[in-house]
Amino acid sequence: MKGPLRDPAHRVSRRAIALWLIESLIGFAIFFGGALLLAFWIGRSDWAVVPGWLSDHAWLLPLVVGVVMAPLVIIEPLWRYAVHRWELSGDVVYARSGWLSREWVFVPVSRIQTVDKAQGWFERALRLATVEIRTASHAGSSTIKGLDYDVAAGFAEELARRAQELRDDAT
Amino acid sequence: MTEPGSAQPDPRQPDPAQSDSRRPGPAQQGPGQSGTAQPGPGQPGSWPSGPGGLPVRPGATPYGEAGVARRLSPRVLLIDPIRMLPTLLLPLAGVLVAGGFSPASFGWAALGVGGSVVYAVVRWATFTYRVSGDRLELTRALISRSVRTIPLERVRGIDITTPPLHRLLRLAVLKLDTGAGGGEQEGELDALTVEEAESLRAVLLARRSVTPRPQPEGSAAAEGTAVDAPARDGASKDGTPRDGAISARGAAAGRTPGHHDERIIGRVPRSWLRYGPLSGAYLLTPFALIAGAVGLVFQVGGELRVDARKARAVFTWVEGHPALLVAGVVLLILAMPVVGGIMYAVFNWDFTLRTRDGYLVAERGLVTRRAVSLERRRIRGYELVDGLIERRFKVVRLWAVVTGLGDSETRGQLLPVTPRTYAVDVASEAIGPFATPLRPHPSQARRRRLFRAVTPWLVVAAAMFLLGWEVAASAALVLALLGIPLGLDRYRSLGHAYDGTRLSVRNGSLRRGQAVVERRAIVGWTLRQTVFQRMSGVLTVVAGVGAGTGGYPAVDTGEAQGVEFAAEVTPDWIGPFLASPNR
Repeated sequence: MKGPLRDPAHRVSRRAIALWLIESLIGFAIFFGGALLLAFWIGRSDWAVVPGWLSDHAWLLPLVVGVVMAPLVIIEPLWRYAVHRWELSGDVVYARSGWLSREWVFVPVSRIQTVDKAQGWFERALRLATVEIRTASHAGSSTIKGLDYDVAAGFAEELARRAQELRDDAT
Repeated sequence: MTEPGSAQPDPRQPDPAQSDSRRPGPAQQGPGQSGTAQPGPGQPGSWPSGPGGLPVRPGATPYGEAGVARRLSPRVLLIDPIRMLPTLLLPLAGVLVAGGFSPASFGWAALGVGGSVVYAVVRWATFTYRVSGDRLELTRALISRSVRTIPLERVRGIDITTPPLHRLLRLAVLKLDTGAGGGEQEGELDALTVEEAESLRAVLLARRSVTPRPQPEGSAAAEGTAVDAPARDGASKDGTPRDGAISARGAAAGRTPGHHDERIIGRVPRSWLRYGPLSGAYLLTPFALIAGAVGLVFQVGGELRVDARKARAVFTWVEGHPALLVAGVVLLILAMPVVGGIMYAVFNWDFTLRTRDGYLVAERGLVTRRAVSLERRRIRGYELVDGLIERRFKVVRLWAVVTGLGDSETRGQLLPVTPRTYAVDVASEAIGPFATPLRPHPSQARRRRLFRAVTPWLVVAAAMFLLGWEVAASAALVLALLGIPLGLDRYRSLGHAYDGTRLSVRNGSLRRGQAVVERRAIVGWTLRQTVFQRMSGVLTVVAGVGAGTGGYPAVDTGEAQGVEFAAEVTPDWIGPFLASPNR
């Protein structure tokens, strides 16, 4: 969107590309494997429900899935790296995420209830971390993925400290 | 959560400073006390002798600071056996049949009945409740001793119900809503006498507002001269003088039990019950009744030796008389609005909404009378809901948007189906006015609504046509045509506005809902844009609210319009992130 909002100041860590690549590869493997299994099953079955032309050309299914999805495996991580950004200024967290569909989240520090720093397997291997910012509402909560571990630690620390100072109990 | 960088400022956690400032009394309960609930020195023999014999210390009021343990009303013992009857009936019949109706079998049956009565008595005798300091304790000592402690701080609402049997005996069931998500976590007192339930409610609610709190920036200092510490509590929390005044009077009422600051805001005349069927509520009751009857037939059928063969005979007989079947179905369909209307009337009979001591109390019901109290401090707005037919008759339903309310669909209801003007008046008086007209969304939104209402059915129609199912294809085509007015109406529903204190968003057609939410309730914003929305240059703005459904979306606003809406409501949050105009 070239709308009225400016980009958040900080990009996520460059290593996040690797993380998203791993994740999209896993997704690709699951889909492609599923398509292979399905094709195998359709090709073997002599069920009356499955029309002949379908069982004869069942091998097309994994091929189509592979051709369509393979480029996305590369494109998605790069695209996400371009979109995912975050910023903390004026005691408001502003984060952007997504690739095909996008999401902008504004969370004022005064309304934050918990700040979690989480690390999955791959994130640990890549020295990355995810900061989860929760408020009383799911629509006011934000998850910032793919931050460098030290950046995430500092960010979470800062948020927790400010949240304590600014507590606003209106909710 | 246990990560080094995590913080958890839980708003519901009572401040330690706050419990320290509590008035120290001789019977002040220590923090470790609640787990064991030993009868304190102040109450010799918490498990007293006679029925209803309450060990009242000299000088102590009921529910006094000493926290005298009290029992439920003994009259509930008259109800308990009747309530157990359905579960006991089959085993009893089984024992009698198996014993061939011999004297011994009657003996066993009598033993069973007697046992259940004894069980009820023992359960009644071993259950006590008491208000002690700033918490309510429910003690069960039937087999193992368990104490449930509910801090009054957590009580968000009180729900008093009187089912028919209770009503005959002048009893009521009192439920505490603690925002724990319903179910086991909440406290239930079944049953108290009506007077006891009322006075306990008054005590609980008054206590709730008397609890002193640390004062942020002395906001209520200018409130008035006669306002003392407990009253400041209510005023400081939301800063509005009106609520503050109510809470002040509420606290005063708490000190003189029996007096309530009570005012009726809305009373639904019985003639408006005719609007009930328009809402579509309870329309399916005839089917539910039939399903229940069929279930009963199968259950009893087992006892009466009705087997599959006989059932099949019945089915073939019905098949042989198609006219009867059609008549039955027609009757069912005709019964839908009638039975639905009756059910609606039974549940919503004499619906009254009143304010009492800083609470909104909604009372309704013909057979079972139900009174739900919602704490006004926690009400963040309201939602006006109307369906397609209701809109034609200009009637709506009204719900409150309350933070941390379990089962909000029934508990949050402020008005059943009533004329729109009336509902708007009641909402403005009970919660706050909102008169700003809604801003329409751009024309791309109309295109998207139409596309989404029509295209799926067109696709289905095409597929059906290709498969050669003409009837199904034409049915889908009709639905696609109906999608045109539906899509246009869905577009007309879209709108958003902000009047300085409250924002409002509206969407939906078959169930159109307009939410009005206070600005201070907003905890964040989420802007979403799918690929298709980006192609149309629109986005969805969701106002995150820690109450109700959690988020209220303005669907398909223009890109600039949506951001401006968020920036208009909370300029300090969005302002720093707007692109500079000269770029």
